[in-house]
Amino acid sequence: MGRYIVRRLLIAIPVFFGITLLSFLIMNMAPGNPVDMLINPNTPKEMLELKKELLGLNDPLHVQYLKWLGGFLQGELGYSFSSFAPVSQLIGERIGPTLLLASASLLLGILIAIPAGIISAVHQNSRLDYMMTALSFLGTSIPPFFLGLGLIYVMGIELGWLPTGGMTTLGGTGGIGDIILHMILPVTVLGVTIAGKKVRYVRASMLDVLQQDYLRTARAKGLSEFMVTNKHALRNALIPIITVVGAEIPLLLGGSIIMEQVFQWPGIGQLTMEAILSRDYPTLMGLNLIAACIVLSMNLVTDILYATVDPRITYS
Amino acid sequence: MQSLLRVVHGFALLTMLILLLSACTESNETNVGTTAKTAPPETKSVDAKADIEQAASKTLTIGIVNAPVTLNQINTQDNSASLAPISLLNDALLDVTDSAQFVPKLAESIETKDKQTYLVKLKSNAKWNDGTPFTTADVAFTLKLALHPKVDTSFKLQFIEGLNDIGKLDEGVTDIAGLRIIDSTTFEIKTKTPIDPLVFNERFGVKVNFLPEHILKGVDPEQLSTHEYFQKPTVTIGPYKFASHENGQYVEVTKNDNYYLDVPKIDSIFIKVLPAANLVAQLQTGEIGMNSLPVGLVPITDYDKVTGFDNVNVSSATASEPAELFFNIERLPDKRVRQAIAHALNRPLIVDQLLKGQAEIIDGGVPSSHPYFNKDIQPYEYDPEKAKQLLQEAGWDSDRKLTFLIPVGNKVREQAADILVQNLEAVGIGIDVQKFDFPTLIDKVEKGEHDITIFTRDYYIEPSLYFTTYKSNDPESVIRYNNPLVDELIQKGEQEIDEAKRHEIYNELQEVLHDEVPTLAVYSEKRLQVVSKNILVGKPLNLGTFNNVNQWDLATK
Repeated sequence: MGRYIVRRLLIAIPVFFGITLLSFLIMNMAPGNPVDMLINPNTPKEMLELKKELLGLNDPLHVQYLKWLGGFLQGELGYSFSSFAPVSQLIGERIGPTLLLASASLLLGILIAIPAGIISAVHQNSRLDYMMTALSFLGTSIPPFFLGLGLIYVMGIELGWLPTGGMTTLGGTGGIGDIILHMILPVTVLGVTIAGKKVRYVRASMLDVLQQDYLRTARAKGLSEFMVTNKHALRNALIPIITVVGAEIPLLLGGSIIMEQVFQWPGIGQLTMEAILSRDYPTLMGLNLIAACIVLSMNLVTDILYATVDPRITYS
Repeated sequence: MQSLLRVVHGFALLTMLILLLSACTESNETNVGTTAKTAPPETKSVDAKADIEQAASKTLTIGIVNAPVTLNQINTQDNSASLAPISLLNDALLDVTDSAQFVPKLAESIETKDKQTYLVKLKSNAKWNDGTPFTTADVAFTLKLALHPKVDTSFKLQFIEGLNDIGKLDEGVTDIAGLRIIDSTTFEIKTKTPIDPLVFNERFGVKVNFLPEHILKGVDPEQLSTHEYFQKPTVTIGPYKFASHENGQYVEVTKNDNYYLDVPKIDSIFIKVLPAANLVAQLQTGEIGMNSLPVGLVPITDYDKVTGFDNVNVSSATASEPAELFFNIERLPDKRVRQAIAHALNRPLIVDQLLKGQAEIIDGGVPSSHPYFNKDIQPYEYDPEKAKQLLQEAGWDSDRKLTFLIPVGNKVREQAADILVQNLEAVGIGIDVQKFDFPTLIDKVEKGEHDITIFTRDYYIEPSLYFTTYKSNDPESVIRYNNPLVDELIQKGEQEIDEAKRHEIYNELQEVLHDEVPTLAVYSEKRLQVVSKNILVGKPLNLGTFNNVNQWDLATK
């Protein structure tokens, strides 16, 4: 297992550099450049040229990439073209809130989806099952931004119970309670969306397993229905779910771009949007890097979890 | 058996639920722990202080829809969002009111006899917020650093003697020939040629902010932009001082007790970044005290909604810089076609329906409140028949489709553009609409891929700045216009230093441009000022919002 992990990590290195090269090229292919934002008939062309020169944008593309790579290998991600703050600091400030939002939502999503899926499967074709399926369908089909805006309107404005956005109260005393209060709406929205999708996977997977012969054997041995469902069936039903959830994590970070806009959540989604709109190349590269790391490591973690959950799978 | 099963499942569900709740709180705590660690220690002390003063402190939150990108006072990148915190943190020699009048700040007086040497006296009591006196040494330090060839700055000081055409020092030159320090509170600026004092007042008086020499002395110019001072500019000279900045979220400033003018009455101000939709919502809930101009716009389409809120006062600012159509003259060389377009547009409909009457119609780019606005020009009337006739005279090819590039981001402008497209199609001009984000749009414009585009220019006090667009010297400009008469008038206007003669020149220039229609204003918005009833003094303005911020006040609850 140890050797397997090491090998996977070694393979990840060239993949990782490939990703940086590709994202660098694609980013530079996008029309416009950081200095275009400053275009103004009253700024002399020479001034814009000087700005480009100072930002290093006049170098040939491969030189720009190698410069960036050189910095990266020394642990430097460079400075943002718009705020001139170190990129590592910008991302460092934002990654925490994003992970907080993503993990809480994922947790909520799973904790809703698994019991709901089990109940749905065990009571297949009952009224309860139809209700669950309908709810999951609703959760999947409501666009998150719409649900978000709706909840902001009802809970934030009409009822005034919850803050309409942000992560803390401005000028407030802060504290965990304040953050939790701000988290309720965005986590609910993301959690519901995730749960909506996952309930159907859990249900299908569980139904599959419930037909298996070994469960009949288990029942015949006199095991309680609780043990049969929650130990023997669930464990096997979870295997495909792990893949689905693992694949959800990068999606979740991508989806947070919209959610973070709606709720003004100070995460990397917001930063990404700003960086794209201002063609802030160093920040974008830093963000791509983080995304690449997350996707690669999540793939690895999913594969390892697979082996842990399913003894039939071994890596060598 | 059945009922037992149900009980078991109910129990399973309950356990899951409890697990869910406990897991949720647990994950919050651990994650919060990590974020708190990365937060700078300063924020904590500020928070603690805020705790003690909570009862008595006055806090104002101003809503803005684009994030301030920088707090660098010598390189604002002309970013309107950044100007809000920067102007709270920094005083320049002068400030400006919304009627484009100059008010002295750091300057005691600015005098000139020949319009070429400007004698500036600083207020003798002016001091940085750490108590260090502000002197001409800081002025010289700032200018030398900002104008260094390797330093990026937003200063546009080409007119000062000793600077090159882009307003920088040449490589290897360290002294500014046009700057003479007389004593610690007096200095003199000499310009290359005589200039209208308006130019000096705007570009030097208002737009030059200062750097503290005692903090930044000895810094390497090439490393200046990434210097940590600009991330946390704690020592500045302005009514407010830096407290905290969460990128993309808010900037917090607190009052400067060492301020050399009257100390502000409001203790702290938050400039809070949020989407336009939430801006209206938070004005309603009272989380935001006022919107801001020009980057915290309450969409005029929400006019009826905000006037219905009972906790705010709503007023309209003077008509602002208009959204303008820019024609690519290389592809639309016949002025009759451009005039036809002017007649084809149903601008009254846009103003009445889309903008609820909160706008006016002008043809040129100079706003009607500007001193150099030519009042005698009659806007082109909405007359589709006239438009068709002009098109026929010009021999318009009805199969031709015009490419209309529209920048996304300003919803009202996008909706107005949609109406324009319908108007043009109604008189037989085919339109191919393409919407892009701003950098992409600029890229396409530079390549000349547009026939028409639309955007809004900035507000300029100095009138010549409205006309640089029409010069023929830039082959990649938005309009690619080439008119010797216009070039000549522009040059005359730039060089003329007599105000009355300048008015004449610019009136004539506006008339010529009105006839030629290289650009056409669509509507000039009277932006909404939505201000909480708790705010006794203070409201957002098109220009110089914070010129009297130290007099602003809130009602105590």
